[in-house]
Amino acid sequence: MSTGDEDRVRKQREAGERESAKLWRAWRTVHEMVQDRGYELSEEEVKISFEDFKNKFTSDDGSVSRKTMTFSARPTDEMWKRYANPVTANDPNPASPDIGTIWVEFLAESSVGIKQMRAFAQFLTANNYHTGILITNTNITPAALKIIPAVASETRIECFTEADLLVNITHHELVPKHVLLSKVERTALLQRYRLKDTQLPRIQLGDPVARYLGLRRGQVVKIIRKSETAGRYASYRLCV
Amino acid sequence: MMMATAKQPKSILKKSSYPATSATSSKTKEERDREVALYHANLIQQRKEIELEILLSTETLIDYPLAGPPYDASNPSPADAKTFKELLRPFLPSNYDELIVERNINDRCGYTLCPNPRQKDGGGGRYRILGMNGKAKDFKVVEREELEKWCSPECARRTLYVRVQLSETAAWEREAGESAVNIDLLDEPKATEASITEDLQKLDLQTESTTSKKDAADLALERGDKAQAARNAIFDVKIQEKDISKPAQAPSLEDKDISDRLDTLHLTLEGHTSSFGSRREKRHKEALDGANVEDDHTDEDSEEDTDWQI
Repeated sequence: MSTGDEDRVRKQREAGERESAKLWRAWRTVHEMVQDRGYELSEEEVKISFEDFKNKFTSDDGSVSRKTMTFSARPTDEMWKRYANPVTANDPNPASPDIGTIWVEFLAESSVGIKQMRAFAQFLTANNYHTGILITNTNITPAALKIIPAVASETRIECFTEADLLVNITHHELVPKHVLLSKVERTALLQRYRLKDTQLPRIQLGDPVARYLGLRRGQVVKIIRKSETAGRYASYRLCV
Repeated sequence: MMMATAKQPKSILKKSSYPATSATSSKTKEERDREVALYHANLIQQRKEIELEILLSTETLIDYPLAGPPYDASNPSPADAKTFKELLRPFLPSNYDELIVERNINDRCGYTLCPNPRQKDGGGGRYRILGMNGKAKDFKVVEREELEKWCSPECARRTLYVRVQLSETAAWEREAGESAVNIDLLDEPKATEASITEDLQKLDLQTESTTSKKDAADLALERGDKAQAARNAIFDVKIQEKDISKPAQAPSLEDKDISDRLDTLHLTLEGHTSSFGSRREKRHKEALDGANVEDDHTDEDSEEDTDWQI
């Protein structure tokens, strides 16, 4: 009987450990993602070890509490420059770039409906966060996803599931490096090749890498891949 | 030579008798393109508006019913039932399913007018067995998820009773009659004393003008004046009646020239005799007779269908 009890306790502990490990990996990936987009994060925050992570977020009952797993980050100067609108003759005082502080939250609830999404949107607006990333345990209902365009004028919401973030896809060897071009670089590229932007190859808004980089419609990414003959080969894609 | 100048070459095409074509040809291509673009943009905008309306209605209905204890699912409050029915009008069955899911997420019974929490079966397993004690036809194996959507089988019936009445066509494509459809509840609000007095008050408030206005609006909707799809149609269709110059006359057999028509009488359809075959030979003969005759002839019946002429 005692061996049965021990067995169960051991199994429970292992399951808890697995859950924590999953959350730790998602936590690391989302930090890498936010850093790759150009937000300000320190190396210690991004490269947190499993032990540190458990110490920081484990609640009293031994499991990792998702409620405490939140953070925010501000854009770096480099990111401000990359998103800046160029000064032209027609437009001597361009509008400030459409970026701002980002808020990342892991949602504890087991199901995500309109209410939860509305609450998240309200939280973002109330605290003046420009962008919000919501990481959920389960899939979001279709009706709740419709809230995102409805509040798009106030705040930008992106959703990921924990399963999406278990591995950082951009670190895979078959995923080439994607670099976002600034508006100046974009115009230079189009002039250099005498193209209209619609003549570029395209990348979808829902593409996993596009989601990772938080691309917006009309932005251009430079994709640098290895080539056996040329060493490196760069192509450009327009986000649609 | 004189003949050729005097007589314009005759077009073999039919005369353009559509005023619509002449009206559109006066517009430039840009204007027409703009009109078409605007028309489609309006359609999309309308669709977006309806979708947003449905979303907001869903959000409102999550928290229903608003009325307290004396009312329950079998006897909903009249006000709640009324708003429920009104908000449900643009819904598709799929939108209604989404509403059920959203209510379940908030731990409410799937039936919008039911104040109870949804049933939660503690045990595991994907399926549940029902009807173990009854007859064999009652025996069912159902998914636990389906079972947990409602507080009771009655509520499930009430929900589905409403669901089957929803129109399958999307709200932005509906005809006028469809969008005015009324939804019945399985358990309509019972006429308690309170609601009767409410109704009486309403009757007093509704003056004749308001009721007649409402009737007129309903009628207009039914007639198709404000059909969602037709509200901004691309063509402005006008029905133009043909002018009648003389009083209509019924055909009679006592015409004096009936002997002339006897050979073609069997071709006559509702008083009209097709002139295609019968006059051909006559014309051919006339054409042979000379140009003068032909001139007169073409003038006198230029109304005829002369497509076959070379």
